[in-house]
Amino acid sequence: MKLSEAKAAPISDDLQTRLAASESRVAELESRLAEAEETLHAIRTGQVDALVVAGPDGDQIFALEGADHAYRILVEEMQEGTVTLDQSGLILYANRQFASMVRLPVESIVGSSISRFLPPDRRTTFSTLLAETDGTRQRSELTLMADDGLRVPVTISLNRLETGGINTVCAVITDLTEQRHYEAMVKDGELSRSILDQAIESIVVIDARGKILRVSESARKLAGRDVLLRHFDSVFEFWDRDQKVDAPRLLSAARSDNGIRSIEVILHHTDGADSTLLLSAGPLWSSSRDLLGCVVTLTDITERKETEEALGRQAHELERMNSDLKQFAYAVSHDLREPIRIVANYSQLLEKKYKDKLDEHADGYIRHTVNAAHRLERLLDDLLAYTQTAETQHTVEAPLDANVVLAKTLNMLDTALAESGARIESDALPMLWVEEIHLQQLFQNLIANSLKYRSDGLLRIRITAQAGKDMWTLGVSDNGIGIDPQYHEHIFGLFKRLHGGSKYSGSGMGLAICQKIVERYQGRIWVESEPGRGSNFLFTLPKET
Amino acid sequence: MTRLKLLLVEDNPADVFLVREALHEESLDCDLEVVDDGEQAIQFFERADAGGQAPPDLLLLDLNVPRIGGEQVLERLRRSRTCAGIAVVVISSSDSPHDRKKAADLGAAEYFRKPANLDEFMALGKLVRRLADKRRGAVA
Repeated sequence: MKLSEAKAAPISDDLQTRLAASESRVAELESRLAEAEETLHAIRTGQVDALVVAGPDGDQIFALEGADHAYRILVEEMQEGTVTLDQSGLILYANRQFASMVRLPVESIVGSSISRFLPPDRRTTFSTLLAETDGTRQRSELTLMADDGLRVPVTISLNRLETGGINTVCAVITDLTEQRHYEAMVKDGELSRSILDQAIESIVVIDARGKILRVSESARKLAGRDVLLRHFDSVFEFWDRDQKVDAPRLLSAARSDNGIRSIEVILHHTDGADSTLLLSAGPLWSSSRDLLGCVVTLTDITERKETEEALGRQAHELERMNSDLKQFAYAVSHDLREPIRIVANYSQLLEKKYKDKLDEHADGYIRHTVNAAHRLERLLDDLLAYTQTAETQHTVEAPLDANVVLAKTLNMLDTALAESGARIESDALPMLWVEEIHLQQLFQNLIANSLKYRSDGLLRIRITAQAGKDMWTLGVSDNGIGIDPQYHEHIFGLFKRLHGGSKYSGSGMGLAICQKIVERYQGRIWVESEPGRGSNFLFTLPKET
Repeated sequence: MTRLKLLLVEDNPADVFLVREALHEESLDCDLEVVDDGEQAIQFFERADAGGQAPPDLLLLDLNVPRIGGEQVLERLRRSRTCAGIAVVVISSSDSPHDRKKAADLGAAEYFRKPANLDEFMALGKLVRRLADKRRGAVA
């Protein structure tokens, strides 16, 4: 400003010359100031590595070591690996972390292609990634191959740099090995927790001092409360007969290698109830074979035990009932039979001696007495046959020719067959693993039924046999009066009869006996029939013993 | 011809009556001595052996009698000097093969199961006549 004011006043030529020189000097200084400011800015923003300063002894170069050193230390001390690459993937620079990731000294890395450390199948992908990297950052997960073949999972992030007209890419590489390991551990933890939550068995893991480290969900329920980090003995009270199964015993058993295998223990609950469990215990070793603790597995068998005991009681009760039944059968066959026989004998004697000698009413009374005595006697025979069928099984030692048994049965029924005029046909029958008396009773009862419930026409009875997978199906069919389907099951019941005694006599036990017999051989019996269309009684018996 | 002598060991009066009826039906001319337990039967043999009693021609024995059972009676009979050779008909309400075999083993000539049918019961008369005839034939 002063200069301008001075310029405005009239001045001498000399002054004018000096003024011009001054102005030129100011312009130069201004230009140098701007340059210095620019340099400072460049230094401050890291654009300058070194300064060339002209001095009286010529130019002097000052490297900005302070700033550069700090960056280098930062880069070298980073946990991440860093490399700078040129366009083709050539490594221009690598830090120590990267060197240790790929297990090579830095000197052997610089100048190699990055491809050297990539699995063959990822090289093209990486080249593409490299080419596409612009100003923005690119991230990718891939696997590095160390020089010794070790595969290192990493994330790599790429940044394009342009320095001095050369295109470079700066890559920061994070080793994921630790992270993957951690993730796997987390997954393992989840897996084992999931196993513990779902296990039906109660599982309790204790440490070497008896403290509970892990429990399965069912063990927690067994304890009835949260038990983590409590002492095993303060939570569970197990007894093996009169010996307590406590943490010291479990740990000592675990240490002995054999552990404990399924011993039956009683758990006393705080509410006074008891559970019965199977207890096993095995060791938990560290990799250096120190006992870390033990794993206790418990299976609740309280219900199973109760069921077993109930079954035992039932079996005992059944045995007692069976014994009662046998005694009853004995009483029936001997004690009851005697007076009935006497009644039968004397009513017949009365009939023989006094028939037509009293009046017709008396004759009727006598006839009823005689008939009742006969029925009573037959009832006893059948009841005895039924109870004897229920007796304990004998093993059948040899198969029986059913044709022979049928022939014998027909022979026994000879008179009744002749009277009925029935025509009997039979298939060729198989050999059967049954007792003769049983097969004979089956044939006899079924054929007798056909004779009893016949229609007016010619009675035809057919005995059939059909082979199944494990069983033979035998049948006795007739063209008799038939049975209404609503009674098809009813007729196999004890004392079940469909007809009054006047027309068709019987004790109502024949089919019940047949059913009992086939059931003894794991077979079954049923009827296919309709009123007026005959009946076909079918039963199955085993092919093998 | 001497009258046939029969000894019946039977505790049920109803059966004693039926046996009498069967013998009567067959018109057998016989003396029937009846005792109702095994002990009296053995005493009968002892009296015969002592000469105080004529031995019977035939013994009709119910196996199921009080005090001393029919089997023991048969064993004792075999040791009797005067009665050992007489024919024995075991009469029983049991039809079991076991009882039939036991009776045969003890030397019974016949096993008669007491039937509910009167006609079958009356057949006992014919059985006794057959055995008596056989004995007379042997004696003659």
